[in-house]
Amino acid sequence: MTHATVESELDAYLDGELAADEVRAVEAHLAECAACGRFRDERLELRAAIGARMPVFRAPDALRTRVIVAAESSGPLRLAARPVPVGRRRVALALAASLTVVAVGTWQLARADAAAETLTTAVLGSHVRSLMPGHLTDVLSSDQHTVKPWFNGRLDYSPPVYDFAERGYPLVGGRLDYVDGRAVAALVYGRRQHLINVFLWPAASGPSGGRSIGTRQGYHLLHWAAGDYVYWAVSDLGIPELEDFASLLRHADSASNAPN
Amino acid sequence: MESRQLERFEAVVLPHLDAAYTLARYLTRNAHDAEDIVQDACLRAIRHFDSFAGDGPTSARAWLLAIVRNAAHSAQRRHRPEHGATEFDERTHSDAVADAHPETDVLRAAAKESLGRALEGLPPDYREVIVLRELQGLSYKEISDVAGVPVGTVMSRLSRARTRLQQALRDEESR
Repeated sequence: MTHATVESELDAYLDGELAADEVRAVEAHLAECAACGRFRDERLELRAAIGARMPVFRAPDALRTRVIVAAESSGPLRLAARPVPVGRRRVALALAASLTVVAVGTWQLARADAAAETLTTAVLGSHVRSLMPGHLTDVLSSDQHTVKPWFNGRLDYSPPVYDFAERGYPLVGGRLDYVDGRAVAALVYGRRQHLINVFLWPAASGPSGGRSIGTRQGYHLLHWAAGDYVYWAVSDLGIPELEDFASLLRHADSASNAPN
Repeated sequence: MESRQLERFEAVVLPHLDAAYTLARYLTRNAHDAEDIVQDACLRAIRHFDSFAGDGPTSARAWLLAIVRNAAHSAQRRHRPEHGATEFDERTHSDAVADAHPETDVLRAAAKESLGRALEGLPPDYREVIVLRELQGLSYKEISDVAGVPVGTVMSRLSRARTRLQQALRDEESR
């Protein structure tokens, strides 16, 4: 046995990589060989020094976000590269929808074209990103009169902001987000331990369509247009509660628009 | 990525992002390159996720770290094919880089002492086995998967790397 082989053997012993009979052999040798005993002690000192002094790093949040977004968007990218016959897809989706209506209750399809698909992915990506530490709000306030003016000068529209605390959906705050090629308002509402992101922007800027409901990766997405705005509400809340919340928003909107 | 695949990717691979970043930090020796390497590696992981069995002999962590390691090595070959990787690199060690990446201070502080310097000065093949074993607790088999070498080679590299680091510790004490 060469010197290096003995050292490797001792390292493997200290790393817990030896079988039981090998362990016994090494320990018997260690009991009577002072040089190997010193070697072992030095290795243990080194291990302690590395553990104490060499840092383990945490991946930056921005990196984590980029990876998640890349994973999420890798589907639509593939889809874009290999166009699916839209007509057939619509029929298939419509058929699937009609079959699941009974089981799921409401499953209304958004426009099944790539634009809507991309938009859904973007909204979901923004929602997931917002849930990462430090990303949820730019303005943290349950006061709608603090949150609404915060958007002044940051957006070219003043989004309606409400507080539904008395109905169990307190306002948490707001932030600027970027969806569909434009800066948009994201309002955050709470529901017990759940969070709801509401994205809204002026209706003229894109295909608003009708209402739609979707589920992606365990999140529910509600989409509608009301008054001047296109809305997306995203949450891990169940669909009935999310619908309940959306109807609160719609009623508040029509109430505040009524005097005009 | 389909939503089921995506969920699996997020559950299986993302928990090892810190480990991936740590390995990249020690291989590239700077924060900015490490981020690029990990992002690049994750894009590859996403593309090849279908081929990752998950229940095979390779753990998800070792699978991701192997991709990170290969990305780091090929980036190093691209950037300075003519230099040995152990040379002192003005760019990665300059204060300007540290200022742009405050986190680098941690590494710099570590590098000021001889153990950190010794680790940075190890050849990449040695440095990676130390990081994988001492900081991330991989088994010899996992390290052999990551580095693409037999377990025997892992053992001898680990032993030599440790002996060199120990020498640095002894030098420090005798100062």
